[in-house]
Amino acid sequence: VSRPTDHASARWGVCVSGQISTAFILILLLAGCGPSNRYILVDDKILASDYQQADAVIQKAEDEYGSKSRVLYGMDRGMTLQLAGEYQQSNAVLEQAEEEIDRLYTRHIRTESFAFVTNDNSLPFEGEPYEQIMINVLKALNYASLNQWQDALVEARRIDHHLNVLADRTKDKTAYRDDGFARYLSGILYESAGDVNNAFIAYRKAYETFEAMRSWSRTGVPVQLRADLLRTTDALHLTQEFREYQQLFPETAWKSIHELQELAQVLVISYNGRAPRKEDQFLDLPISLDALQLVLINQGFSQATRQQHRAADSVLYGLNGRVVRVALPKLVSQKTQVPVDTVTLSPEQGAPVTVRTELAQDVTALADKALSERMAGIATKAVARAAFKFSLAEGATRGAEHAVGGEYGPWVGLAVGLLTKGFAVASEESDKRSWRTLPDEIHLARTWVSPGIYRLQRAAASGGAVSNKTISVRAGETAIVIQRVIQ
Amino acid sequence: MGSSMRSGQCCSNVAVLVLVLIGLSGCGAETKVTRVDEGVVTDLSGRWNDTDSRMVAETMVKEALEYPWLNNFSQSKRRQPVVVVGTVMNNSHEHISVQTFVTDLERELTNSQKVTFVAAKNERDEVRTERKEQAMYAREDTQKSPGKEIGADYMMKGTIATILDEADGTKAMFYQIDLQMVDLESNAKVWYGQKKIKKVIEKKRTVF
Repeated sequence: VSRPTDHASARWGVCVSGQISTAFILILLLAGCGPSNRYILVDDKILASDYQQADAVIQKAEDEYGSKSRVLYGMDRGMTLQLAGEYQQSNAVLEQAEEEIDRLYTRHIRTESFAFVTNDNSLPFEGEPYEQIMINVLKALNYASLNQWQDALVEARRIDHHLNVLADRTKDKTAYRDDGFARYLSGILYESAGDVNNAFIAYRKAYETFEAMRSWSRTGVPVQLRADLLRTTDALHLTQEFREYQQLFPETAWKSIHELQELAQVLVISYNGRAPRKEDQFLDLPISLDALQLVLINQGFSQATRQQHRAADSVLYGLNGRVVRVALPKLVSQKTQVPVDTVTLSPEQGAPVTVRTELAQDVTALADKALSERMAGIATKAVARAAFKFSLAEGATRGAEHAVGGEYGPWVGLAVGLLTKGFAVASEESDKRSWRTLPDEIHLARTWVSPGIYRLQRAAASGGAVSNKTISVRAGETAIVIQRVIQ
Repeated sequence: MGSSMRSGQCCSNVAVLVLVLIGLSGCGAETKVTRVDEGVVTDLSGRWNDTDSRMVAETMVKEALEYPWLNNFSQSKRRQPVVVVGTVMNNSHEHISVQTFVTDLERELTNSQKVTFVAAKNERDEVRTERKEQAMYAREDTQKSPGKEIGADYMMKGTIATILDEADGTKAMFYQIDLQMVDLESNAKVWYGQKKIKKVIEKKRTVF
């Protein structure tokens, strides 16, 4: 006598245990996708001033970045290549990143849908507006370092264009809608190339932007910019503006363009500290009393190491089936310990010239502002996604339970519930991608010296001499000195 | 019981639909290469491209040869004018290969058989080095002696500038190319050519 029920039950038994195993493995795999340690390696190499190796670390990790983070790969490599002195290659990867950002203007519904059921890491990374501007800033510095001033000015024009489009798009006057440092650098490039009129326009916009963003950018108007405004308004015979700036900056010492004609310019750009990183901030929302107890107990056990307990959380909450997880990004700043740099230019003969750098861009403040501006949108989307994933998992669980029916229905339901709800919890992850090879702060110093060969010596405010470099400058020329201070 | 079963089935269907969508999203694009004639217009990104460079060079050279400066010179000196290319400044928003554009101009003007081009400043150094080396290493009857270079009568110089406007994914790019022929003896500008190109580049905000 055949007993089909027994066969079916045996089949379901195998199937259920197989599904549970698969569920566990899948959840563990998903939850195991942690952040890469490549930035730790990069920081180590930069600390050792081994920029080629820092770039090699990024290059090796190209596949790890994946197709969704092409822009981020370009950004990260653009910076390490610049530090390694590979300006042309740096420009090539940054140009690709810029073109990719342009292409990403068009959103793909299927990509957005996929991200909605998984997480925002499935979306192509296009960077925050300030990061996009920094692409042009780096390219401009690369071209200037290569002595290709026409190309450096192309980047200055692009900065102006991108910032104008951003200002048109951003209605909130207190938001990031202009960039004082990028404007200021554009002005320096224009003036170095002999275009004093455009230099003044850029300086004026930079001054206005530094003033407008002062409340949150943690960056004041650089003292050097005041002198630049006085010099260019004087050179252009803009009497009215010159008087206004004289009244605004009575203490500022400056030299006329005529006095600087026979001198050479040295521009020091110092990248200090490390850009902030992002971490997951998990919000576990219980939707039953049991689940509330579970969340409280679980958080009591593992609050300090939430990142490491993602796999366990996923299984635990998947089994309970009544916990909805929402992941939000949290910014962790990595502030520089170097508030000011002193750079000494020692000529072959004569007295050395000492310049002090001053803060021109606080990247952490920009990242903070960018994230806070987007947080409401991120949170709304995350909650909607969590609710959608939960309802989908609940539907799949009930559907499977009813489809099997009988005494094995609840077992199948449990397996499907663990799989789908565990997946919902495990796949919940915030988008933590950001341009991590950027510094915490960008400092700038500008000085004019007699033509000749100079030995550069950098001494951090905290300690002794750190680096040595030699530059050769002729009258009317500009030398760009880029230095990286990881502390 | 029945309604809960229906809702369960409905949710299962939604789950299947989502999985199908995810599966579909995995379909990747493939690379396709097609050889085309060099004259085919290929406007892909809207940026300055080979078509712009060639068309502007052809139009401006045609215009330059129609103006009276050429005939005036040929009649008074009874020879072709000698032209050297000066600087063509890139004042645009793009990293334009100015050298390609200048080469297009030189080619069009030389092929017209109405002007003679001499090597520009950056090319002359290489030629002079070669002559110096010939003086040291080449057979005497094949050596080229110095001091026989042809001095240019005119210098051609110009600018490529752009005005860019953008809003909501639509860009209006306006190129203005200005070229001038300057008499090297008198500094007089004997010809002034201008070519304008306007492109509108539209991008969709969403696609499937």
